[in-house]
Amino acid sequence: MAKKSIGTVTEDEKKEIQSLFERKNGLAELSKILTADNAELYEKLVKDMGETGTKFQSWWDRMSAKYSWESSENGHWEINFDTNEIFLVD
Amino acid sequence: MTAIKTTNKEWQYGLNKQITFIVTKDCQLACKYCYLVGKNINERMSFDTAQKAIDYILSREDEFKEESVVWDFIGGEPFLEIDLIDKICDYLKTEMYRLNHHWFNSYRFSFSTNGINYHEKKVQDFIKKNHEHLSIGITIDGTELKHDLNRVYKHSEKGSYKDVVKNIPLWLSQFPNAATKVTISSADIPYIKESVLHLYSLGIKEVNINCVFEDVWKDGDDKLFEKQLVELADEIIDKDYYKDYACSFYSEHIGKPMDIKLENQNWCGAGKMLSIDAAGNFYPCTRFAQYSLRSKKALIIGNVNDGIDKNKLRPFLTLDRTTQSPQKCLECDVASGCAWCQGENYDAAETPTIYQRSTAICLMHKARVRANNYYWNKLYRKLELEGERERYEQNKIVEPLKTC
Amino acid sequence: MVQYLVILLSDKSVPFCHYENKNTGSLLSLNDLKKGLRFSMFENLSVQYVFPNGELPREYLTAIEEVENVKIMPANSPYVGGADVMVFNGLENLNPQKTDVPFVVRLYREEFFEDYEKLLPLLDKTPHLSIVFKDLIKFGENDFKQYENVQESLSKQVEKLYVDGKIPQLNILTDRMYLDKMRNCNAGVESITLAPDGNFYICPAFYYNGEQPCGDPDSGIFIKNPQLLKLDYAPICRRCDSYHCKRCVWLNKMTTLEVNTPSHEQCVVSHLERNAAKSLLTAIRKHGEFMPQLPEIADINCLDPFKKIENGS
Repeated sequence: MAKKSIGTVTEDEKKEIQSLFERKNGLAELSKILTADNAELYEKLVKDMGETGTKFQSWWDRMSAKYSWESSENGHWEINFDTNEIFLVD
Repeated sequence: MTAIKTTNKEWQYGLNKQITFIVTKDCQLACKYCYLVGKNINERMSFDTAQKAIDYILSREDEFKEESVVWDFIGGEPFLEIDLIDKICDYLKTEMYRLNHHWFNSYRFSFSTNGINYHEKKVQDFIKKNHEHLSIGITIDGTELKHDLNRVYKHSEKGSYKDVVKNIPLWLSQFPNAATKVTISSADIPYIKESVLHLYSLGIKEVNINCVFEDVWKDGDDKLFEKQLVELADEIIDKDYYKDYACSFYSEHIGKPMDIKLENQNWCGAGKMLSIDAAGNFYPCTRFAQYSLRSKKALIIGNVNDGIDKNKLRPFLTLDRTTQSPQKCLECDVASGCAWCQGENYDAAETPTIYQRSTAICLMHKARVRANNYYWNKLYRKLELEGERERYEQNKIVEPLKTC
Repeated sequence: MVQYLVILLSDKSVPFCHYENKNTGSLLSLNDLKKGLRFSMFENLSVQYVFPNGELPREYLTAIEEVENVKIMPANSPYVGGADVMVFNGLENLNPQKTDVPFVVRLYREEFFEDYEKLLPLLDKTPHLSIVFKDLIKFGENDFKQYENVQESLSKQVEKLYVDGKIPQLNILTDRMYLDKMRNCNAGVESITLAPDGNFYICPAFYYNGEQPCGDPDSGIFIKNPQLLKLDYAPICRRCDSYHCKRCVWLNKMTTLEVNTPSHEQCVVSHLERNAAKSLLTAIRKHGEFMPQLPEIADINCLDPFKKIENGS
C-alpha cells in the first residue's frame, strides 16, 4: 500500500473534518447499543448518521476541488490530524 | 527521509479534561513500587455512584468547557470491573448524545491495565464495541527478570511477566501505535537497557519511562542510572532504533535552565483533572485519594451529591513552578524536564500543602540530563557524518514538552 | 520578622477576628505567662494581651504589667478603662464605656445588612472602627450585592462626615484609601500567639481550631513551611491591590486547605471594599483637596483575582 503526501489543509479545515470524523465514529459506536426501544433517541441517531455522512463526504469533495488533489481509481485520501497533511493511499 | 521517532502526541494534548473513575481498589498484583498503599477488595464503585458523577459533570457544560474529554478508568486493575465499565461507557455515550454535549464529538475511554485479563472475552467484546475511542496502555516493565522483580501476584508473589507478555501481540494488533509505561525504582536500574530493548523486540515502538518520585534512591544510584542510559543510547543509535522506536528518556527539551517568569507553569495537571472514587468523593487527581497516600489525609474536593467545592480547587489552579520550588531548583542549570507529582509533593511535605516541591528525584534527573546530552551529541554527529542532519532538522516535528 | 506577641490570657479571651473562642475558661498558667513575657523581652516583641470577660486573679494583673503592652478587651470587661482596643459582640449594647480607642465589632452578615446604621454613632467615638464578619466564608452572590448596597449607603454618611471636617475611619470603607501597598494581618510573619496551653500558634484561630502548635517560649518559634505565610508565596494575593485585605491565613486554610490561597468569598468581599473605598475617595475629593499624595485607586472589572489567573492574564 503506497502512501503519498499530496497537500495540506488549514487548521480550521482540519478541525471541521476532525469533528465530523469523531462524530461519525461516535454515532457508529452508539448505534451498537441503541435499539428502536428508545424511539426518540434512535430516530435522532438514524437521521444524524445520514446527515453526518453527507457532511463528511461533502468536506472531501469541497477540499479536493479547492486544492485540486491528485487522485487514483482505486486509491483514497487520508488526513493526518497532527500535521494537517493529506495523503493519497493506493 | 531521515526521521527520528518521537513519542506520540497525546490525543488532544492540552485541550482535554481527564476524568478518572477509580472503579476498584483491588488488583491481582502487588507491585513492589506501587504508590497505592491502600489497595483493598472492598471499595468497588457502584453504577449508581458513577451515574451520579456523570450526571453532575454532563449537566455542567458551562463549567467543564474543555474541547475534549478523556474518560479514564483506573484501579487497582480496572479490567477486574469490566461489566461496570461497559455499563458506564454505554451510559456516557448515550447521555453525551442525548444532551447534545460537545464532548460527544471528542471523547476517549482510557485504561492503564496490567494486561493479565486482556484476552478475556468480556474485555475483548468491550474493545470491539468501543475500538475507535479507546486508548489502552499495558504496563510491562521489560525483560522477564526486570518485570518479575516488582510486578508480582499479591498472594503467591509469583512474577506476572508470562501472563502479560502473551497478550502483547493481541494488544499490538488492535492498537499498533500503543505505548507502554515503565516505572524505575532503585532496584530496577541495572535492567533498564536490556528492558527497553526487550520491549522494542516485542514490537512496542514507544516506551514511556520514568523514575518514581518517592524518596527511594540510594547513594550511587544516579551513577548507575547514567551508565545504563548511556549504554542504551549507544544501542539505540548504533543499531538505528531511533528511526522507528522511541524512548521518553531522551528528549531535546530537557536539561536547560528555566526562566523564573516566562517558564513558571506548574508541571502537574492535578486540579485540572478530576477523579471519583467508590464512595463518590471527588479528588483533584487519583494521587490524592486515601489509598494513594502514605502519610497525609485524602484531599477531597467534593462529592457526587454536593458537587465540587471550587475553593478547594483554587490552590491547584494557581500553583506555579517558582512558588512551590526550593531555591536550588530555581537556580538549577538543568531544570527543564525535571518532573514532579503534586500528590507525592503533598504526601512528602512537612505540612499538608501542595506548595512544597519534593526534590527526591534531583540526582536522577541530573544523571538523565547527562546521558541525554550524550545521546543527542552522538546522534547528531552520526547524522552529520551520514549527511542526514540537515534533512532531519527540516523534517523535525517540534513538540511541546509533555507534562503530567 | 516577628514583632508582636499576642497573649491569650484565657480560653475565654474575647475573639477579635473571624474565629470563635472556647468556653472552657482555662487560664494561661502564671508560669507560662511569665515565660511568654521573658520571651518577648529576649526577642524584642511588643505584647498584646487578649482579655476574657470577667475578672483575672490579682497576680495576673501584676504580672502583665511587667512589660509595655496593648490590651484587647471585651467592651464589657471590668477592666475596660485600661483597654487599648475594645471588642463588641454584635450590634446590641453599642454603648462604649470608653472612647478614643479603636473599636472592633464582630457580627453576622445578616445583622450588618439589617442594622448597619447602628454603627454610625460609633464613628464619632473611635479613631478606628473595624467590622469583622463572623461568617465571612458564608457570603453568597446575593450577600455580595447587599454588601455593595450597604457600603454605598454607609459611604454617603461617611462622606458627609469628611465634608464636616471629621476623619472617620471605618475599615471596610476607608482602610484601602490610605494604602499604597499590602498591609495584611501577617499572622505567623509579624505576629505570633501564645495560647493558654503554653504553646505558640500562628494566630488565635489556629489554637482554637485544634491546629498544631509552632513552638513554645522555651524552645522558640518553629513554623513549618513559613514562606507560605508570606505575600510573595501567595499567587493570588501577590498580584492583588486590595491592600487592606486581612488575607486571613486561617480562613484560607479552612476554605481552600492552603494558608496562601484565599477563598472566593474573601477575595470578593475585599474587592467590594476596595471599590467602595475608590468611590468614597473620588467623592471626598470632589469637595476639595484631600490627601493628594494618595494615588487614585484604579478601575477594575473583576472582583476575584483568581479569575485573572484562571484566564491566563
